[in-house]
Amino acid sequence: MGNFLDDNITKQIKEVFSNLENQVEILVFTSKNDCEFCDDTTELLKEVCELSPKLKYQGVDIDSEGSLVKQYHISRTPAIAVLGQVDGKMTDFGIRFSGIPAGHEFSALIHSIVSVSRQDAGISQETQAYLDSLKSPIHLEIFTTPT
Amino acid sequence: MVLAHKMALASSMVTADAIEATEFPELSEKYRVSGVPHTVINQGAGNMIGAAPEEMLVEEIKRTLNQK
Repeated sequence: MGNFLDDNITKQIKEVFSNLENQVEILVFTSKNDCEFCDDTTELLKEVCELSPKLKYQGVDIDSEGSLVKQYHISRTPAIAVLGQVDGKMTDFGIRFSGIPAGHEFSALIHSIVSVSRQDAGISQETQAYLDSLKSPIHLEIFTTPT
Repeated sequence: MVLAHKMALASSMVTADAIEATEFPELSEKYRVSGVPHTVINQGAGNMIGAAPEEMLVEEIKRTLNQK
């Protein structure tokens, strides 16, 4: 097993991942310059993606792959984008994580992967109806801490 | 799963970024984040401090859009 996920955690994640349906792609944006948590984030996400054949890991070096940085609106590292399939096409839902996903964030990431794979947001009909009526974009930034 | 991420999954109009506050102190300072979770709507046009239920976040989004 890897360095980050011990046997117990691995077992738990695999259990959650048994609910995966469609392919999910995880993009991890890193930089070699001044990025304290980039290596750890890369390693952690690689280990997670090894736990299911439905997950695909793709690392992106922001200093050499400018077009992807622009396409996914990445402005800091490490950053993670969780992509899922809609009608057989890999789709960006605008789901991002900035910083290493540790603690609560890690659990949120694992559950995001499952929800994206199942195309199941789990929100109320009222909220869905309101979101469907939106005419202008909404960008939400949620600040959290690992503990 | 974070509520904001659920909304992003549910709507192509919504994007959501969960940010580790201590790793990006300049950004946290810019939005005067002192407690977590703290949700910033459209670059500070709206704010939600604490873990809010779904309806409350929707209300704050509505309020943010209406004040334009």
